[in-house]
Order: sequence, then C-alpha cells, then structure tokens
Amino acid sequence: MSASAKLEIERSFRDQIGRCSRCGFCQAHCPVFGASLRPAVNARGKMLLLKEVLEGKLELSRELAESIFQCTTCASCSTNCPSGVQVPEIIKAARRDMAGLGTCHPAFVAMDQVLEQYPNIYAEEEPGDFDRPRNQRAEVVYFMGCVGQYREEEATEAALAVLDHLEVDYTLIDEVCCSGVLEDVGFGIKPVLAEKNLELILSTGARTLVTGCPYCFRTFNNKEVYAPIKQEGVKIVHLSQFLAGRDLGVRTDQVVTYHDPCDLGRHTGIYAEPRKTIRALAPNFVELPHHHADALCCGAGGGVRGAFAKNSLDMARRRLAEVEEVGAQVVLTECNSCAHNLSNAKLRAQKFRVLTTPQFILELLEQSQG
Amino acid sequence: MQIQGYEFPEDLHYDPEHFWVRVDGDELVMGMDDFAQKLAGEIVFVQLPDDGKKLKKGKKLAKVESGKWLGKVLSPVDGVLMGVNEALETDPGLINRDPYGEGWMYRIKAEDAGQMEDLLHGGEALEAWVQAEIAKHASEA
Repeated sequence: MSASAKLEIERSFRDQIGRCSRCGFCQAHCPVFGASLRPAVNARGKMLLLKEVLEGKLELSRELAESIFQCTTCASCSTNCPSGVQVPEIIKAARRDMAGLGTCHPAFVAMDQVLEQYPNIYAEEEPGDFDRPRNQRAEVVYFMGCVGQYREEEATEAALAVLDHLEVDYTLIDEVCCSGVLEDVGFGIKPVLAEKNLELILSTGARTLVTGCPYCFRTFNNKEVYAPIKQEGVKIVHLSQFLAGRDLGVRTDQVVTYHDPCDLGRHTGIYAEPRKTIRALAPNFVELPHHHADALCCGAGGGVRGAFAKNSLDMARRRLAEVEEVGAQVVLTECNSCAHNLSNAKLRAQKFRVLTTPQFILELLEQSQG
Repeated sequence: MQIQGYEFPEDLHYDPEHFWVRVDGDELVMGMDDFAQKLAGEIVFVQLPDDGKKLKKGKKLAKVESGKWLGKVLSPVDGVLMGVNEALETDPGLINRDPYGEGWMYRIKAEDAGQMEDLLHGGEALEAWVQAEIAKHASEA
C-alpha cells in the first residue's frame, strides 16, 4: 500500500481531487483568494497540491499548512464547481490527515488543547454574566455559543432582551463549547463537552433548543454525538427561525441590508426567515450584490480569524465594501462570528453600522419606548 | 531602560494595567507598554472609538484583540478622547513593532492633571513594579 493510501484524502476523496479540471471557476468566488490573490490558497490551488500528495511528489508537511488551513470552509467554491468537487470536505479530511501526521497548523493544535482544558474556545475561566437564571425547567433552552458569550456579549444581551420582550419561557444553561469546530480543523468533538451539553439541555425539559450561533446549530443538528437531542423530541432551531413571523411591533425607514452567514445560508439553506423578520422591521431593505447562496464569506469561519487574522479582516473589508456600494445605513447578520469580524474590519470612515438582527430589534424597541 | 529584556522608557508614566502615558502639551498620549504587547502576542484588532468619548479613570476605553486574547484598554484618567491613531485601523501590529512610537493608541484631554500623580514614573519605582509583574506572570504561566 502506498504511503498516501493511509491518508483519508486517498481513501475517500481520490476521485474528487482528480476530478478538478483546473477551470478556476472557484477563483471568482473564493474569499481567501479574493483577499490575497494567491492561487495556492484557492480551491484549485489546494486541489493541485493534494493531487501532488497523492502522486507522491509532495508530503502533507507543515509547509502546506498555510494553504490547507487557510480556508473558511465557506463552500463558495463547491457551490460553483462545474465538476462537483466537494472542496470543504476534502480540506477537512486533509486537515485530519495532517493532525494525524503531526503537521497541523499550530493555531489549530492550540484550539484542540484549549478545549481539553477549558469549557470554551477562548480559555475563559468564568461564564459570561447575563444576569438571567440558568439550568431551569423551561419550554425553551437558549444556547449562546462561545462567540456570543465571550466576544459579542452585547449581541447576546440583545437576543435575550428580545426573548424577554416576547415573554418567551426560556432558560440559559451552564453551556460549554459545542466543540463542533474541532471537526473542521483536524480534530474531533470532545465527548466530555458534548455529554455536558446534552445533560444540561435535556435536564431543562425544554421542547425547543434555540441557538444564536449558526455553527452550534449545524453541530447540534448534524453531529451524531448530539443525536439524543432530536431523539428526545427536542426541536432545534436557530434564533432567526424562532423570531421569523413574530410581530415585534416596530418599524424603521432606515436603509438596511443583510449579510448571509455561510453557516446559516450556504450550509443550512436558511435565507428566508432572517429576511422575513428584517423586511417587517425595515421596508427599505436592499440586498447586497452577492446574496443568498452567492454571499461573500466574512472571513471568520473555519478557524481562519484565529490563525490568519489579517487575511480574515481583509476578507471582511471586501464584504463591507458591498455594504457601501448599496448605500445601506445598517448591515444586519444572524451570526455572532460574522458580526464580530465585520465590526472589527469596519473602518471609522464607513458610517454604516454592523449589528445583529436582535441588536437592531432591541434598538428599535427602546426607541419606540422613548 | 531595559528590564529583563523589556523596554520601559523612563521619561514616560505607566498605568499598572500596562499602559504608558506621555504628556504632550495639554493632552496625554497613551499606548501599550512593551511587557503587555509581548504578552498579548500579535495584535489583530484595536477598537478606535469616536472622538469626544467621555472617559473615566480605570474604566474601559476600548477593546484590543490578539489571536488568543481579548483585553480592555482602561483609561488612566478622567477626561475626553481627543484622537486615535488611525494607522492602527489597518495595521494594528504597529503596537507590537513600535509600542512607544508609531504604535501610540489614543490622545486624551484630562479633566484633572493631578491624576497623573497616581501613575508610576521614574527608574526605581518602575524597576520594582516591572520585576514584580514579570514574577507574577511567570508564576501564573
């Protein structure tokens, strides 16, 4: 058996890697290529490198980490690939191979190690303080996610305030990281963390699990370790689905646009619900030039914000240039990671605001109450 | 002066939260000191609030992020934010490369110049404080 046959990319994706016709359609959509103009970090470049690994011409060495790990797994490439190459799945397999070989990017090794020791990806020792009860019996359990709890606290506070306004019977829990991101970067979900979340979620007796994070939403829905949630009859929804169709009783004539998070849009197909809420709030809604399945990635996903921050913020600035192009006063999004990266990247000279939809709702509610 | 490999210019004043302050006419200029920037790692984001923001001593002025850390910049004095280093918007790494020069962060107009007395200044006090900080972080590591 060849050395490469021991690799997952050989066993599971040899055909797909070979199927890349090097047409370069992916270059038009890849956010990392758009920010860096480096072919090696575009999907076509990555497939060329992996083809050489399969042919024994290259090792899956640390030197390839800059390419293989610089991918937000946004799936813009595979969505537009005429040859049907599922690039994100191949990249994740290559990362698992590199982790196995000990050539994983150190930033992602660190992520795995942090979640061995801490209950969140930021190595924070204390939970965020949102001054609301936790671990109660309730109809709804709200899962904040690490970004919402430790980096976008105002967005989470707004989400909870909106739930309070709607008089939703909900509880927070002493949540720990869903750890789904580890499966994208070469490692695996931490069973201890998953068991803790399952125990806490199911102890609430809630019939609905609402999460503010699209990534946690995908993890709870798709990962086998979290199957007990649905097996117990608990419905899993993203906050944007939970809010859609509810009468919030406020409106504005501000020009508002919406950034589709990759984890909510391309990966999950949730496009209509956020827009239903936003259009009801803001009739002067305009789409960005790239929207729905064609949305530009904000640059934060797949661990890229942590490991390649400069390029991540450059990707976000390309997205924000579209907000300026359509003349929006506010850009809303339903993902705390997107909100974090976009608001960090926004220049002072850019006068529009970056908010999550719940932040915007709360603002309008507070204005209407004078 | 150099203290165990960390640069601490003696003509500056230092907040115990690891911000340096320099008097520049009737305004103060502040930034992160060498110890803090090394501990933080590569700075990737610096929040640059709007001019005119009211500041309270010891309260959050802005946020700073490195790849592994989210920190708060605390105002060393009561006052008003008069300006920011806009170069940090697209090159926050200036803080790491030149923390006392090109990496300056904020300009402040202090309400009470007397609050500067609370800041550390001068060789002996500085050395004692830095040595203690190095030891503290070494034991926490």
